[in-house]
Amino acid sequence: MSTHTSTAAAPARSSAGSHGVTFSGVLRSEWIKLWSLMSTRILLLLTLVAIVGVGALAVLIRYTFLDEMIRNARDQGQTLTPEMMEQTFPPGSGFDLYNLPNAGLQIGILVLGSLAVLFMSSEYATGMIRSTMNAVPRRTPAFVAKAIILAVISYVITTIAGVATFLIAMPVFQSIGFDLDWSTDGVLYSIFTGGLYVAGVALIGLSLGTLLRNSAGGITVLVGIFFVLSIAASFLTLIPGDFWKYVPQYIPSDAGGRFLSIGHTDGVIDPWQGGLIFLGYVLLFLIPAMIVLKKRDV
Amino acid sequence: MIEAKDLAKVYGAKTAVAGVSFTVRAGQVTGFLGPNGAGKSTTMRMIMGLDRPTSGSVTVNGLPYAHHKAPLHEVGALLDAKAVHTGRSAYNHLLAMAATHGIPKARVHEVIEMTGLDAVAKKKAGGFSLGMGQRLGIAAALLGDPQTLILDEPVNGLDPEGVLWVRNLVRYLANQGKTVFLSSHLMSEMAQTADHLIVIGRGRIIADAPVQEIIAGTRQSRTLVRTDSAPQLSSLLAGDGVTVDQSEPETLTVTGIGPREIAEVALRNGVLVYELTPQVSSLEDAYFDLTKDEVEYHSHLTGGPALASPATAGK
Repeated sequence: MSTHTSTAAAPARSSAGSHGVTFSGVLRSEWIKLWSLMSTRILLLLTLVAIVGVGALAVLIRYTFLDEMIRNARDQGQTLTPEMMEQTFPPGSGFDLYNLPNAGLQIGILVLGSLAVLFMSSEYATGMIRSTMNAVPRRTPAFVAKAIILAVISYVITTIAGVATFLIAMPVFQSIGFDLDWSTDGVLYSIFTGGLYVAGVALIGLSLGTLLRNSAGGITVLVGIFFVLSIAASFLTLIPGDFWKYVPQYIPSDAGGRFLSIGHTDGVIDPWQGGLIFLGYVLLFLIPAMIVLKKRDV
Repeated sequence: MIEAKDLAKVYGAKTAVAGVSFTVRAGQVTGFLGPNGAGKSTTMRMIMGLDRPTSGSVTVNGLPYAHHKAPLHEVGALLDAKAVHTGRSAYNHLLAMAATHGIPKARVHEVIEMTGLDAVAKKKAGGFSLGMGQRLGIAAALLGDPQTLILDEPVNGLDPEGVLWVRNLVRYLANQGKTVFLSSHLMSEMAQTADHLIVIGRGRIIADAPVQEIIAGTRQSRTLVRTDSAPQLSSLLAGDGVTVDQSEPETLTVTGIGPREIAEVALRNGVLVYELTPQVSSLEDAYFDLTKDEVEYHSHLTGGPALASPATAGK
């Protein structure tokens, strides 16, 4: 390999420019960092495919189930119309179709959340963090830039995937008589909030990557919060007494999940309350991460 | 200009840097020398604001590094050749760093060319050799055409051509009036490159002086003398402030007086002297003299039996 070097005259100051650090510059820098990794590009593309894929699968399962019910009813000489089903079952019992755009959301949470952990933890693992801090010694702008980029990318990917999933679901359910289209109550709401929820998960992932500085640890904790904790909390409902039945809805994944649904149910927090609680969790991770990043030696 | 004032860093029970004060001036190359673990890297990291000093302060061009509006134009640093994401190409790494300051792409190409990275610029930095990593680190340091350069072991892993290039580069930049602060454990390299030396040991400054002064000041000049009547000359020379060591039957090392005085004594007493060589002490001698009490990690040679044991164990 040729390693020819020139002791060429050091260039005049003008060639390096003389601008200071600007926030838009830091944003552009983090954008270049994200897209210049082959692994990120592949991961983001696969995430989109995976969310739509899992969503399509969920659509198929629900379609098969509902179609079966209608056939069974017909075989017994009864007529069961979608309208009757919608009226018979209470909201939230699985017969609502407005949340179909978010059918593949769990995959999005897992992959985009992990990507967010890696966006920071890989800088610690490779030593890149020191180059980042040399260029942006105030540190906070680099973190905020990463947060904005992750939130926007998560939002956009989840929204595109949600729209795509719904485009698959709509004709399928229309074919068995369901009145499902863009104007159905809650469809646009769940597309909008699904993106916000995943963006929030990504911000928690970024914070975990910053606090733990370790990829495996950060992803493990993220999975713990969004998947294991929810299962663990469901056991609380087995404890006698009404109090414990109302506890699980306050954990991040359940509060976030409630934010994605519509309508009021007695004894359950309202969607906007779920959204606020989830936002509180995001800030609970984000703020300590920013403080620690600013103070800690790198 | 870099100014450190009572700069200290304590990690738990271990004091890495124990309140050092020094000034690195513009227009010259200042070397930073010291044994492993003496606190060189920690000091440099504190200058760059990566580590928070336990006490004291350090400024670059009058301000703490993080307070500069355009830090990359003020200071370029190579602290760790592996401060690069292994999955990113050298070009994209530099491009991302340049973007923070709005440094044009043309400058990125310029530093790639200057550091001889053209052929590998589009390859992943993770596959770089140590020398290539150093070149990339130097390219990043030069990116903002900074007034001050801080280079930690810049020639580590470079080929001879690269070493020569770094030496010429830092000399050139110093002549341009820039501040150059570099550490190295290669004393011959320092002797050729630096104008001024700051020697650190166990977190304390041991010496802070021009290179020539350090070489001249630490050890008295010695003279190698070869004579066929060594014991006689030895007793004639011995006296106040003069020490004579006999290493070989006909060879003496004399400290305390110069070659001319030795020759006069020999002439007066009719002793045949067939070699008289002044021994110039090197920076290496000076360094070992200065740091002999400050080395934290002494190396020990393993004894013969220990070396032999694997062989016997194999039988």
